[in-house]
Amino acid sequence: MDNIAGSKAGLSWAVHISVALLVFLWLFPTVGLFVSSFRTADQIATSGWWKAMFPSEQNQTIRAASPETQIEQNGMFVIEGNLFENGSGAEISVWGISSRAIDAFTPGETAELRRGGTITVQADGAYRMENAEAFEGTRGQRVFVTAKTPPEFTLGNYDTVLGKDVARNMIIYAIAAAVFFFVLRFLFRGHDSTLAGIIPGAGAVILLILLALVFGLSSGAVEGAQTTDDMAGAFFSTLTVTIPATIIPIVIAAFAAYALAWMDFPGRALLIAAVVALLVVPLQLALIPLLKLHLGVGIGKGYLGIWLAHTGFGLPLAIYLLRNYMVGLPRDIIECAKVDGATDFQIFVRIILPLSFPALASFAIFQFLWTWNDLLVAKVFLIDATGETTVMTNAIVELLGTRGGNWEILATAAFVSIAVPLVVFFAMQKYLVRGLLAGSVK
Amino acid sequence: MKHVLYTGAAALALTAGMASAEQVTVFGPWLGPDQENVEKVLGAFAAASGHDVRYVGSDSFEQQIMVDAEAGSAPNVGVFPQPGLAADMASRGFLTPLADGTGDWIRDNYAAGQSWVDLGTYADENGADQLYGFFYKVDVKSLVWYSPENFEDAGYDVPETMEELKALTDQIVADGETPWCIGLGSGGATGWPATDWVEEMMLRTQPPEVYDMWVSNEMAFTDEKVVAAIDEFGAFARNDDYVAGGAGVVASTDFRDSPKGLFSSPPQCYMHRQASFIPAFFPEDTVVGEDADFFYFPAYEGQDLGKPVLGAGTLWAITNDSQGAHDLIKFLQTTEAHEIWMELGGFLTPLKGVDNSKFSDPATAKMNDILLGATTFRFDGSDLMPGGVGAGSFWTGMVDYAGGKPAAEVAAEIQESWDALK
Repeated sequence: MDNIAGSKAGLSWAVHISVALLVFLWLFPTVGLFVSSFRTADQIATSGWWKAMFPSEQNQTIRAASPETQIEQNGMFVIEGNLFENGSGAEISVWGISSRAIDAFTPGETAELRRGGTITVQADGAYRMENAEAFEGTRGQRVFVTAKTPPEFTLGNYDTVLGKDVARNMIIYAIAAAVFFFVLRFLFRGHDSTLAGIIPGAGAVILLILLALVFGLSSGAVEGAQTTDDMAGAFFSTLTVTIPATIIPIVIAAFAAYALAWMDFPGRALLIAAVVALLVVPLQLALIPLLKLHLGVGIGKGYLGIWLAHTGFGLPLAIYLLRNYMVGLPRDIIECAKVDGATDFQIFVRIILPLSFPALASFAIFQFLWTWNDLLVAKVFLIDATGETTVMTNAIVELLGTRGGNWEILATAAFVSIAVPLVVFFAMQKYLVRGLLAGSVK
Repeated sequence: MKHVLYTGAAALALTAGMASAEQVTVFGPWLGPDQENVEKVLGAFAAASGHDVRYVGSDSFEQQIMVDAEAGSAPNVGVFPQPGLAADMASRGFLTPLADGTGDWIRDNYAAGQSWVDLGTYADENGADQLYGFFYKVDVKSLVWYSPENFEDAGYDVPETMEELKALTDQIVADGETPWCIGLGSGGATGWPATDWVEEMMLRTQPPEVYDMWVSNEMAFTDEKVVAAIDEFGAFARNDDYVAGGAGVVASTDFRDSPKGLFSSPPQCYMHRQASFIPAFFPEDTVVGEDADFFYFPAYEGQDLGKPVLGAGTLWAITNDSQGAHDLIKFLQTTEAHEIWMELGGFLTPLKGVDNSKFSDPATAKMNDILLGATTFRFDGSDLMPGGVGAGSFWTGMVDYAGGKPAAEVAAEIQESWDALK
């Protein structure tokens, strides 16, 4: 019974388990990056992202106000204040004034300071230092607190890497665009199906762009942000690299694939063999010679150079994939068109292109994803010593150098960098799966 | 036709007139706060000369500069953290010798001028020695960072000799705490902090002449003196009780993360040996001299080797010849160029004419004292070794050593890679 087509395979549970495992393998780091990008440095240092929703116990070293702020009350010198920022909601369980005994006191108790005077710390972080003589020194007293801090989420990290308020504005605009999308869809409910399918999406995108242009995205850089933190500039640079680097090879490859699939000319088989042979040449071999060529003919390092490089490196696979797909299209349609007097160009535009859409889309996704994630080609062909060009992958590498310990910044930058591939993947995943089979199943 | 000719002539005249102001590209290893500082210095140069000056920093400077030079797209000026790499590039004809008279200026104006000239002089592709590198910005490496308040809480004193330092280390362990934070991670350069440790130990167990022989490979890496120095480092880094997180995490901890243990609550460690630039990676709001301080990584009292100091520096070399590049090197010879960065902090200089009151803080002045108080000054050895060793097998070898490989085996592998380069 087992080998009858259509019946349930005996090992389907194994399939389910492996799918669940793969999904988990992918989700764990992605969701982790996403959650971490909204957390503060202190929280990341004390607990994993999976505990982000629960209050965390943190050990912190906080300085009381400096002796300059002391005031004299009834002959006593007093420094007063709160260890936490307003409304943090943290609750101190134990505290201390020596790094050797950070849990020496409970809230409300009074500790003798080594240099004279006393300090009392309350559970909510309020403290009062008293001394018969004036406090000396320039730095405030260190207080070691162990506090239960409620979960806290912030857009601050996004402000640092993208510019102030960018994330908040994007969310507001996206909500407005989503509302607009559903309104349009409701309005065009009964209309012609293709038009009704396009208008709501296009309208929402246009509204999003309009809102961003009219009201602006950023209100300046955040204080404390370093020059290397800027991912917004790198984001647009990456887009400038990626979009032409996706479109150019597809256009060229589509023409070439048609010719190799349906036009008869001498040496066709040899050409196809050559293209397949090129698939096995590693691009690393060509980096330096190609750069020398670019510099020799005057292209130099820049966008044109990297577009050409990505085009060249992407073409063999593109041609091979599209040719195999186009060869599989029914011969009858093409012959009918020829009998009716269609030229090769008309056949290509009217028949082949629309029918090859799944293959074109799937290759576009592949090419987009790997030019988006590329670092090596960009380093060689784009990034020069003028500092005007960079890509996100490179910006993240440099960020590792300057912000190696700031995991919240790194997670945010990483999430900004994977956000677009995520959107592309989710929006076009049906083509991706179809494209995986392109050329393999006829 | 005539009209076209005139326009052409006019355009030519215009470009000729503008030749004095050109774009000068500078490529270096500095990012973050240091990048902002160097941009201020270059800004002053741009204002003085009228050139359009661009600076780009990269974490993978060593690899990127080779790719660019190889392809012919090198920046005008490269800032090399390692003389060894610059020597490699000079021998392949990628560097342009500095203008005549630069060497004399260094000899006259830098403290120990001749040694700086020697460090910047390499053989060109024909084997003739030429001055290629100009040193600007020096770091002192022989520093141990600590938190004075933590020392006060625990009642520890700053050690004056290596014997005291080792006693203090044991004392901290006996108190149930961890004495050291050591991290070797640094992206593509992982392992370099360990090479500094070994060099420090070399200088503290052997006379400077032996150190020089080691660096030039007149004495093999496999010599028992070198192996002993590596094991001296291992005495600290391979002891689970001595290192925060245990010896197993030394190789994987990022060097930028490792000093943070000094400031955590409770402290994860009490001491951190690192060069003068490390405060850039301390937590925000850390004031050097109050929250964090440093002492000289002491020498053995029992060995009559004085007070050796290990240092490093960045050398500026012309990687793509242009008038603007020569102008920049000329500008670096002004007192102004040094004083701008002195005021910004984290900058030490061998230039004798600078105004010492311009050091940004007392801590930097104290570092200068350490530099001046040295009985022996030696340049970071791994930076002087050929790139394949000093920026290659020595790094990876030390990572292997931190992972548990015997010192003799690691030394043999490094010597093998050195032989292969000869």
